Amino acid sequence: MTAELTWLWGGVLAYVAAGALAIVAAVMDRKPERTVLALMVLGLILHTVSIALRWSRLGHGPFITLFEILSSNLWSLTLVFALAYWRVRAVRPAAAVVMPILFIMMGWLMVASPGEGHLPPTYRTVWLYVHIGLGKVFLGSVLVAVGIAGIVLLRARNLAPARMAALPDDRRMENLAFRFMMLGFIFETLMLIAGAIWAQRAWGRYWSWDPLETWSFLTWLTLAFFLHLRVTYRLQPRHAAVAILVVFVLAFLTFFGVPFISTAPHKGAV
Amino acid sequence: MSAEASIPRPNAREAGAHAGRGKSSEVRWWTRALAALASLKLTLAVIIAFALALTMVYLLNVESSWPIAVPLAAFAVNLAAAVATNGVFRRQTALLVFHLSLIAIVLLIAAGRLTYLRGEAEVSVGAAFDGRLSSAQAGPLHPGHFSKVSFVNEGYAIEYSPGMKRDDTRNAVSWMDGEQRRQAVIGDQEPLVLRGYRFYTTHNKGFAPVFVWRTDAGSYRGTVHLPSYPGNAYSQAQQWTPPGAAVPVWIMLELEQPVFDERAAWTFRAPAEHKLIVRVGEERRELRPGDDYALPGGALHYQGLTTWMGYSVFYDPTLPWLLASALLAVASLAWHFWRKFAAQPWDA
Repeated sequence: MTAELTWLWGGVLAYVAAGALAIVAAVMDRKPERTVLALMVLGLILHTVSIALRWSRLGHGPFITLFEILSSNLWSLTLVFALAYWRVRAVRPAAAVVMPILFIMMGWLMVASPGEGHLPPTYRTVWLYVHIGLGKVFLGSVLVAVGIAGIVLLRARNLAPARMAALPDDRRMENLAFRFMMLGFIFETLMLIAGAIWAQRAWGRYWSWDPLETWSFLTWLTLAFFLHLRVTYRLQPRHAAVAILVVFVLAFLTFFGVPFISTAPHKGAV
Repeated sequence: MSAEASIPRPNAREAGAHAGRGKSSEVRWWTRALAALASLKLTLAVIIAFALALTMVYLLNVESSWPIAVPLAAFAVNLAAAVATNGVFRRQTALLVFHLSLIAIVLLIAAGRLTYLRGEAEVSVGAAFDGRLSSAQAGPLHPGHFSKVSFVNEGYAIEYSPGMKRDDTRNAVSWMDGEQRRQAVIGDQEPLVLRGYRFYTTHNKGFAPVFVWRTDAGSYRGTVHLPSYPGNAYSQAQQWTPPGAAVPVWIMLELEQPVFDERAAWTFRAPAEHKLIVRVGEERRELRPGDDYALPGGALHYQGLTTWMGYSVFYDPTLPWLLASALLAVASLAWHFWRKFAAQPWDA
């Protein structure tokens, strides 16, 4: 286990370096974008080795304990953000907003017990990977939108550094955030469908309104509400940005909060 | 990307104005009503109502489906009115398919609630499921083919990892398919599907003493299901009244060897070394396999110990259609936005 944790620490240090550099660059009006991306990729490589070592040792993926779920989500969120950072220039200054959110997860991960959990028989199915994979893309897409929304909100309060202020106008930034939210909506819908298929096979019912299902659906409804609100009232960019933050907070609490209050077999994290 | 990339549907006022253009200046009341029903503002209200109903059902633990059914019905009406009145659906096929799929989902959920069955059954090893459920809920239009469903529990194995962690369940079952007997192994992720009814093994299982009850009227062979094991390892007792007997019989299983060691891996099985404590009124006896016990009204013969498996039963004929509609909805939505987003680069 020591080797896994050593690799994990290496990955986290690289993430922290990437985040710190992104924040400093935003404040100091510098543009070390390649270095930030390289540090994120380095962190992902080190983190991947850590996850692979643990997977190999335990015989199952990072799906059971809080430590594993935080670790795998930190990995997937960083991966999705790194891809967006690489492909969409306007997303790059958002690293100064997104990385501090990931710092919170890193801190939580560092204090979580790295002990082992038991893989229940209901988890031994390909639907585990499909359901969780789709969920990770959903949360990652919303995280990218949160980063863009953060820029819009910082600009609205005249707190944006020059790099952020020089980005396209708020309407275009909000449209970009909307694309990521729409992507998130499609992947969350697919996640719910895959989860229903899995639940039907594992527990003999496709939907039973257990706490995790209920809160996942409430998150989906909130996201649907935001998308309709945007069409119906042509939301101001800063209002849309606040709505994006609300969706993210609800999704985050559903992913990492509800499992602690649920007594149903559908736990997420145990 | 422009705001047109979103789902365009006119609000009531816009739709009413469109309806009136080119006709008379007076807009018929039903056109206005349809436009109001089709409005995106109503969609927003329905989503809020749905979320509130859901929160209420969740927090208050409400059993009824009505708090959810009402906003769902309103949603279907809103969608249908939008499809009927909004010309954009005739120009954008993907959007039309998405909305029609949503309507189909709501209708299928309603059909599923009317025809579903959900229940629990317990079947001893070697015995046939006879159509009796220990508990059941069914929709008012459930077709009731359940009495024709039968299978035999041929035996099962459940593995436990150290720390009492339940692992794989493998349950052999057999059933008649016309003149031919078929066999299968069901368990985690693998239900037995007969006439659309799905039988799932559960964590609920236990020991079952096998008795023969002999009276002047004949003899009956059957099992008594003790409470679920190992969940109720320290209360393995049950009371029942044999057919035609005047007094109830209380039995308790006493294990003479431990069935499991919490720290080690083990397999669930009926213990070889055991005895039954039987109490009838004030009288107490101990029975081992092969023992008899004369009671008022008949003689009880204890044959031995077997096990029983608890099954959850599920029936919903709409399942494949519901899945197809959901996939169609998400595919058409993805198609619609893919075309919109592809028209302008993400990094523009």
